[in-house]
Amino acid sequence: MTGLLGRAAYFARETWINVRRNLTLTVAAILTVAVGVMLVGLGLMARYASTNALGRWQGGVQFEIFLEPNVEGGQADAVGEELRNHPDIERIQFITQEQAYKLLEEMLVDEPELLAEVSVESLPPSYRVVPRVAEGELIESLAAQFRERPGVYSVETGRQQVDAIREWFNSFRWIVLLMSIVLATASAMLIFNMIRVAMFARRREIEVMKLVGATNSFIRLPFILEGMLHGLAGGVVGALAAGVLRNHVEGLFGRSEILAFFRSFTVTSSQFTTATIATVLMGVVVGALGSAFAAGKFLDV
Amino acid sequence: MIRLDNVTKIYKGDTRAIDGVSLNIDKGEFVFLVGESGSGKSTMLRLLTAEEPVTDGEVHVAGKDLGQINSWRVPYLRRNIGSVFQDFKLLPQKTVYENVAFALEVIGRPRNIVATQVPAILELVGLSHKQQSFPDELSGGEQQRVSIARAFVNRPLILLADEPTGNLDPNTAQEIMRLLDRINRTGTTVVMATHDQTIVDQMRRRVVALRSGQVVRDEQQGVYG
Repeated sequence: MTGLLGRAAYFARETWINVRRNLTLTVAAILTVAVGVMLVGLGLMARYASTNALGRWQGGVQFEIFLEPNVEGGQADAVGEELRNHPDIERIQFITQEQAYKLLEEMLVDEPELLAEVSVESLPPSYRVVPRVAEGELIESLAAQFRERPGVYSVETGRQQVDAIREWFNSFRWIVLLMSIVLATASAMLIFNMIRVAMFARRREIEVMKLVGATNSFIRLPFILEGMLHGLAGGVVGALAAGVLRNHVEGLFGRSEILAFFRSFTVTSSQFTTATIATVLMGVVVGALGSAFAAGKFLDV
Repeated sequence: MIRLDNVTKIYKGDTRAIDGVSLNIDKGEFVFLVGESGSGKSTMLRLLTAEEPVTDGEVHVAGKDLGQINSWRVPYLRRNIGSVFQDFKLLPQKTVYENVAFALEVIGRPRNIVATQVPAILELVGLSHKQQSFPDELSGGEQQRVSIARAFVNRPLILLADEPTGNLDPNTAQEIMRLLDRINRTGTTVVMATHDQTIVDQMRRRVVALRSGQVVRDEQQGVYG
């Protein structure tokens, strides 16, 4: 038991000495790992969020019928009447030109010059429609029916938006994945080099250790632990950053009317925990790989 | 304890450092390896600690055939061998006590063993009063005594010394020899490579002379030559 404690104390001490000696390199490695694994975490959360949002829409897909801006009152009422009486439609909401202008006003809050070119009269009033059954085919056929009605300018189905969002999120995930692979490789290489420097700095000690019969694993362990420690620190910083970003983005979705569409892009707390654990673990793995390669390569016994 | 059977060591570029050497060293012997620089003394010591593989022949140390031993077993072999060098190889940032304790810590010896063995060995080499000194605060002779303490603290079967008195004045060299002799009397086999004629002639122990990697003389109670 005292032997084990002695060893643990030895490894802790040696690892700490290494970390302290290379403080600037340590910070660089930790930050690189942090950025890399933060992207992994964000990618994971984006995946969860898009799955959640798309799943939710399966149960509440809506579509919007835009009327001609100068539609006659009778035509608008006729469309509304038909919608209300339609057996496949659950509820509808009429957006007047004034309401449409208000929505646009919010969207173009930073671009007043664009808003100036639009008048209330030029905007199309619309019906927002929630069908009874959220089924893609049905929505498409409903949309096709109403596209032909007099006074209808166009019909936008939620399906198109869902597809567009799905595509957008997919590319976002791929970009994030690619970037995180590049950064994880860079972090592993940085840690690899750091451990090489650390081993060079301690070559006399390593020589003596080999001389008196220390095993390879005993000599390597403090260096591998050092790499894992950097990875862990980077993982924790990255996970924290990803958490802060998640809160910020979700807050933004919640506050802004323009981004209201994205409100369903949220992650549950258990998904957040999973993503956080995966992020931290990823850091540890990157650190362990980089340092284990270095310790294996540069310890010539 | 040590047996070499027709051992040859050729380095890259066809340098024959050891050339067909056969040698038997019994437990408890004290052997001087003498010869000019480049005659193969240091190479022979490195073969014994498995730092270098042989090109041909067999090396047996402490009952192990080094040609057959797994690389992961090599550290365990080295625990039976203490090594002392001309340049001491002490760690400058560690105290005398820490330098010696380091040798036990890194082979996983428990703390209580370290706490009893280190003071005992420092007593043996006469450095109890300098436990907390750093190597650069010591004389050359004292540094070599620390190095011997480190090599012997684990009570190895064999002690290999490569020119241990090479950096020391004659009086200090005598001190070191007395220490090595004392260690030898505990039953430890000592093999010492040296250029120091005075010491070899004084000690009158077995002398193995090397020239161009070959044994040219092997005498009990021999002289430098």
